[in-house]
Amino acid sequence: MSEHTKPLPRITPDNQPFWDALRERKLVLPYCAACGKPHLPPGPVCPFCFTDRLEWRPASGRGTVSTWTVVYKAWFPAFAADIPYNVVQVELEEGPRLTAKLVGLPNDRLKVGLPVMIDFDEAREGIPLPRFRPAT
Amino acid sequence: MVYSIRDQTAIVGIGRSEFGRFLPDSQLKLGAKALNAALDDAGLTRADVDGVAIHLGWPLGVDYDRVAEAYGLSLRWVSQTWLHGRFVTSALQQAAMAVACGLASVVACVTAISFTRERQILGGPGDAEGTREDGGTHGESPPYGLTAPAGGAALAMQRYMALYGATSAQLAAVPIAFRKHALKSPHAVMKKPLTLAEHQAARMVVDPLRLYDCCLITDGAAVVLVTSAERARDLKKAPVYIAGMQGLRSGRDEFIFAPRSLGINQQPTRREPPPERDLAVYRMAGIERKDVAGLYTYDAFSPVVLFVLERFGFCGPGEAAGWVQNGRIELGGELPMNTSGGLLSEAHVGGWNSILEIVRQLRGAAGERQIPNARHLQWGTAWGDSVIFRSSR
Repeated sequence: MSEHTKPLPRITPDNQPFWDALRERKLVLPYCAACGKPHLPPGPVCPFCFTDRLEWRPASGRGTVSTWTVVYKAWFPAFAADIPYNVVQVELEEGPRLTAKLVGLPNDRLKVGLPVMIDFDEAREGIPLPRFRPAT
Repeated sequence: MVYSIRDQTAIVGIGRSEFGRFLPDSQLKLGAKALNAALDDAGLTRADVDGVAIHLGWPLGVDYDRVAEAYGLSLRWVSQTWLHGRFVTSALQQAAMAVACGLASVVACVTAISFTRERQILGGPGDAEGTREDGGTHGESPPYGLTAPAGGAALAMQRYMALYGATSAQLAAVPIAFRKHALKSPHAVMKKPLTLAEHQAARMVVDPLRLYDCCLITDGAAVVLVTSAERARDLKKAPVYIAGMQGLRSGRDEFIFAPRSLGINQQPTRREPPPERDLAVYRMAGIERKDVAGLYTYDAFSPVVLFVLERFGFCGPGEAAGWVQNGRIELGGELPMNTSGGLLSEAHVGGWNSILEIVRQLRGAAGERQIPNARHLQWGTAWGDSVIFRSSR
């Protein structure tokens, strides 16, 4: 990995539909056709009932911040100019949690429980990176 | 249940190199010093060692094959886990199991690390673990710049603080306690006291972790020799028996730097006291939690010290930040922890520095750090694995 460029998501056969949908500004989740539950990160089978009958369905894009942090140290040179920057985990309305960043709010107002909605306006080398903003 | 491994194996020798920063020696050289010291401690020779267990290999540490080749060992059993702190317990347990099963007679657990020479592995572009598919091993998310192990501990502590009202000033009790212990450890890297004011004034690293909530980046080696209880009784030092153990927990209810069900990554959010299956280590050792005279843990970051207390039920869910106040985890307190200073203040030798301290304590050889009448000490981690050690004195 180059220290001069920010890392890209690792796209695998299991998570390819997730990233493909983001290119169309859609957030989708793998649902189990047997038990009906969605899961993240995308896997080859349902982790709850171990069936491989998965269906990709749209998610609302709404959720709440379940935890967050702000990074002050330049571990990775390509992020040095962004310091301090936040990273949040968002519990989607559908249940699974997604790690991303939050925009549209000063870092000192980050808090657990903050209602957020997805924002599709960032891409890195053509790969859309989901991020969130405070819900309106 | 079968408890056949209880007291069947023992630690019979410990050794270490010097601990420090930017040491000139290679990891392999540091390891040779530690192995030599451990053999001398046990009254064994190099030819007695027929097994090696390693939990931190190249490039931070040393690999088993280079150890065998460089030190002239002739091995009939080896084990090496991926380069990760979480496997310290696994390596020790595998050594004990190999001995108990007759696969080896004397296993050397060899840990020889140079963090200062390999800094970019920790959260930098050289950190392959942090870029694992679908999330790093500590919850890292490199596309968003969460690239270091500390990030996972920060995510866990931030939520813990929001749920339970815990504060950074409460968390400070952990590094302050371990610094006090380090000041009583002549070989510890940190030499000055740490005050609450200094902790609070230190720079933020990854919110809410401040500088002194993050472990040291040091160099050093530690070796532990494991053999059968029967053979141990004929050796130089009083054996320290491996009385009970339980393995690393994993599943959707687990996050490496959180207790069960804290709500990090995909964890559920229903916190409960530890279920019986998570207390198996006490049952195997044939003791109760209250019989433990001290607790030792892999204190990579100060929050995991809180989490291990809740993991094993020393206090209830959400209570640990309050529980550790007023010297409770200090020498002289109700449950001394990491009495040589741990990764936070002694040195980061992958946790083995604390295993060495457990052995010194149970031999009654810990000097001014000695826990009076220590008969049982527990090694346990925030990720749920554990070993209980029993003194033979």
